Amino acid sequence: MRMNWKATWSVAALSLALSGAATAQDFAGQTLVVGTWGGDIERLLREHAARPLEEKTGAKVEFLLGGSGDRMAKMYAEKSNPTMDVTFQNIYEAPQALADGLVMAPDESSPIYSDLWSGMNDGCYAMSLVGLGIAYNKDLVEEPVEWADMWDPAVKGMIAMAPYPSSEGDGLLGVAARLEGSDEHDPDTAFAKVRELGAPALNYTSLDEVFALMDAGEVAMAPMISGYVLAALKEWDNIGFAFPTDPGPVLVRDMVCQVANSPNPELAAMFIELALSPETQQAYAEELLFGPTNSKAVLSAQAAADTINTPEEVESLLQLDWPYVISQRSDWTERWNKDVLGQ
Amino acid sequence: MTARGPASWLTAPGVALIACVFLAPFALLVAMSFWSQPNGTLLVDPTPTLVNYERIFSDGYYLRGLGRTLWLSLVTVAVSVVLGFPVAFWIARRAGRLRRLTMAVMLLPIVCGALLPTLGLVNLLSPLGIVNGTLKSLGLIDRSIPLLGTQTGILIGLVQAFLPMMVLPLVAVLDRLPPSYEEAAKSLGARPAQVWRRVVLPLAAPGLIAGSVLVFCASLTSFVTPQILGQGKIATFAAMTWQQASLVLDWPFASALAMVMLGLMAALGGAVLVLRRGARS
Amino acid sequence: MRRFALSGFTILVVLFTIAPLLVLVFSSFDDGKFFRFPPRELSLRWFRAAFASAEYRSSLFNSAVVGLLATIISVTLGTAAALGLQRGALKSRAALEMVLLAPLTLPLVIWAIALLQIYAWLGIGGTLPGLVLAHATFTLPFSVRVMLATLSAIDPGLELAARSLGARPWRAFARITLPLALPGLATSAALSFFISFNDVIVSTFIAGSSWMTFPVRLYSQLRGQGIDPTTLAIGTMVIASILIVVALSELFSRKALRT
Repeated sequence: MRMNWKATWSVAALSLALSGAATAQDFAGQTLVVGTWGGDIERLLREHAARPLEEKTGAKVEFLLGGSGDRMAKMYAEKSNPTMDVTFQNIYEAPQALADGLVMAPDESSPIYSDLWSGMNDGCYAMSLVGLGIAYNKDLVEEPVEWADMWDPAVKGMIAMAPYPSSEGDGLLGVAARLEGSDEHDPDTAFAKVRELGAPALNYTSLDEVFALMDAGEVAMAPMISGYVLAALKEWDNIGFAFPTDPGPVLVRDMVCQVANSPNPELAAMFIELALSPETQQAYAEELLFGPTNSKAVLSAQAAADTINTPEEVESLLQLDWPYVISQRSDWTERWNKDVLGQ
Repeated sequence: MTARGPASWLTAPGVALIACVFLAPFALLVAMSFWSQPNGTLLVDPTPTLVNYERIFSDGYYLRGLGRTLWLSLVTVAVSVVLGFPVAFWIARRAGRLRRLTMAVMLLPIVCGALLPTLGLVNLLSPLGIVNGTLKSLGLIDRSIPLLGTQTGILIGLVQAFLPMMVLPLVAVLDRLPPSYEEAAKSLGARPAQVWRRVVLPLAAPGLIAGSVLVFCASLTSFVTPQILGQGKIATFAAMTWQQASLVLDWPFASALAMVMLGLMAALGGAVLVLRRGARS
Repeated sequence: MRRFALSGFTILVVLFTIAPLLVLVFSSFDDGKFFRFPPRELSLRWFRAAFASAEYRSSLFNSAVVGLLATIISVTLGTAAALGLQRGALKSRAALEMVLLAPLTLPLVIWAIALLQIYAWLGIGGTLPGLVLAHATFTLPFSVRVMLATLSAIDPGLELAARSLGARPWRAFARITLPLALPGLATSAALSFFISFNDVIVSTFIAGSSWMTFPVRLYSQLRGQGIDPTTLAIGTMVIASILIVVALSELFSRKALRT
């Protein structure tokens, strides 16, 4: 009996080592290129997805850093000969990339697919869930309970906005239209309502800018996406963040995509699986306060409180018709420049 | 050089580099400006069309943005000449042992790139910044002067970023201008103003032209500085192109914008030539 | 009096030019996680972080390599082209000059996207030569322009005199014109190197993952998270090292002159 166990173990260990060696040989010398954002996201992906993949396969993982728009441009320009294998995109980009044949549709038969919240994988796999809410100066204004509070005449002209096109801008348009009893399919109403906020006090390019001016009372509120903002707010005592009701925070997603015809499709699929694993998703939630898409991720009480992580929370969020919003990109950008920014 | 012909071959490697790496993509852009993006896709349809140009010319928004950028660039050049010439003259003539240090300091904005100095400027010019703070504490103003999000703010940023491109070529030229020329002119009884107009300026002209061309083009295509200091309220050429090319991903339209700008610049250059010829005859 | 006015004016302009950089330098000593001025608590935290980060080190190295190679190409071709323009046949001069300055007239973003498409067709996307050629191309106009101005201020009679005394053309050029053109060469090299070193837009598209440059790394995190104070510390160190090198070279060259 004892002998038998030993033999089984050693056979198992041997076959494990052999299979490990075999896969390592298969991918040694290959380089997987992953396009993503710099900073903490890159760091977490390196720790939780890239390193394990490198150890398992012997391949090398390199990150290509930039904005998600840069990566979209890169995919379209390199359509004939892609250099990226995996790319992280925004929800307002992924469905378009799939429609134009630049990324592969999520594989519904893969085991990881069924672990993700259903209905989230438009275009690519959903990587993290965040919501559009309101960051506000606690000294100047009460915590905004509903979206209409941002239209309080007392704060007119004291709202900061992200540059357009962005999830923040599209989300704000969706909210504005709903306040008037309509939705994003009625851009005239949406833009008219956003205009009522007055010219933005600031069109920010980085979080530092908004928070410094908000801290000083020059900016009262800003529609912002949870996640980074919540993580950054730990440094500012007098700035708060709220998920308003009516119509509820807008659900925004980061997506992870496998580039079509990429040089290393197998490695790409393995990387995506690691990125979507409960482990990586937990790290995203604990360190960046990005809500996990993997339903098996288990969070600490602290992270659970700050992230969108339960089916009920997901239900309460406002979902925009992203494919429609995407199709309006060019027109809405021009209208935003003229009507909202007053260029 | 006695043989004039062979020397012009020295331009060949440079021209070859530009032809392969710049003109080839440029030709693609010219073609692309006549293509279009059908609804529902970001892929381009290479059927020749004028829709992009129609869109630019039927809407004052884009032409105003291009015109504003041309104007801002011209003013940046003018201010850079006014600020840069005395500095270059001082470096070339008076700096003595401070010369290299001053040159290095003047190079710093380029050393640091556009981003970090621009963020520094935001700190200086913002309503909470040092400029407004000092003016307020001196009692000169009681409300902050809005500098960010205005053309003045952008202008300050452009001059700060590109002044070195004016000063450095000027120093290179003024260095080669022997002080004896001025002395000789003075000793022949020329007044200081005459010395400047007849001796210094003509000899410095190549440096002025070099500096002006560099500052003008850098301002024209500058993206980071107007984007951050303009706070999105002021549309400039590079910002519009960047938005279309990198965010909206409408490359045909972005190409057409660039072509129209080149057309406007050519028109401006042509007008200057005609005026000069008119003035001469 | 006029002398003081000129010096005073120069000091003001120099101050204006470097004021934003002083803000950056002071902010790098701030202890906080944000870019803010004036700094609240002084610390060297971000300087330690800069040295500890392997990512920053490797991207700075990449930027330096790309910048150096691009500068060598840009200055060599630029000087040759300026000589050709100045001494070559006059007829084609205006047209050639325009071609050589052309890259200055387009916003880099749209050119980079078109170039990326061509690189993808050729299969050289993401390679070092592709990136260096792109950088050499957008820095070449600076070299050409500065060298044209420099050469125009050099009396061609000097070189002719040397040749009439029997010097071969190349030798006459190397011994007479080149030393006189040295300040211009240094200026074009400095402009080319730093413009290449700081480029974000072209490198974002053209640089592959293996050759990611420092500004691309810096910019990629600006949108999401704001400026990492580590980069301010790196900027401060770059500024300090340049000023120290210049000051030392000044000191030694004066000593050398004295002995």
